Amino acid sequence: MARDTGAGEPVDRRARFPRWVYGQGTEPDPRFTLANERTFLAWIRTSLALIAAGIGVHALHLQIPETLGDVAAIVLIVAGIGAAGQAFVGWARNERAMRQGRPLHGAVTASLLTVVVVLTTVLLALAVFVL
Amino acid sequence: MRPSELYDRGAQPERTLLAWGRTCLASAVVLALVVKVLAVEADAAPILLTVTGLSLPVLAWLLALARYRRVHRELTGTGAASPRPGGGAAMTVATAAALLCGALALVLVVR
Repeated sequence: MARDTGAGEPVDRRARFPRWVYGQGTEPDPRFTLANERTFLAWIRTSLALIAAGIGVHALHLQIPETLGDVAAIVLIVAGIGAAGQAFVGWARNERAMRQGRPLHGAVTASLLTVVVVLTTVLLALAVFVL
Repeated sequence: MRPSELYDRGAQPERTLLAWGRTCLASAVVLALVVKVLAVEADAAPILLTVTGLSLPVLAWLLALARYRRVHRELTGTGAASPRPGGGAAMTVATAAALLCGALALVLVVR
């Protein structure tokens, strides 16, 4: 079902998924949409790297206490799952904000992720080289 | 197709398509890594799930390619504008692929 937008172009809004993002507002500059898409992709790659790191810690049988290795692997994988969630939610929220001409959201998840990754890395390094 | 004017010196659609390529490759590699490690330690069900999951990055790549073609057409003004502008289907599939990787990796460690 086509509806007229302000520009007079018929746009099938119902066909666009997700509606929460595309249901309102106007089309932003395509360059910003594409940049938002690349930010999403960078988050997905971050997520995959974290998951791969978790699998690595589990599979490489490091010379550290087993519980510590398992906890580190689980923390990395859960952080990876969180990064994948942030990828999609962040993309949707930014696209929506751009369509409505509102300011973008802050980088809370990125700060949290930094703390988690640094702590895990330092603990793992200490365990490998000191214990 | 007639030659079109340079839309944007930043080559934004191309950079985005390349980013999609990197991401889909990375997600296929991590899924393959999960299969490899699972094959050593686990039974058939999760392995089958992972092998099926390898279709997700392929699907995401195809969706991204269709998206690129549509964006390129619209920006260069070649061909008729699509009545259905691109949505978030490719993003949903790529997110699902990453979440599947994470879930299977968790199964691997916790089990």
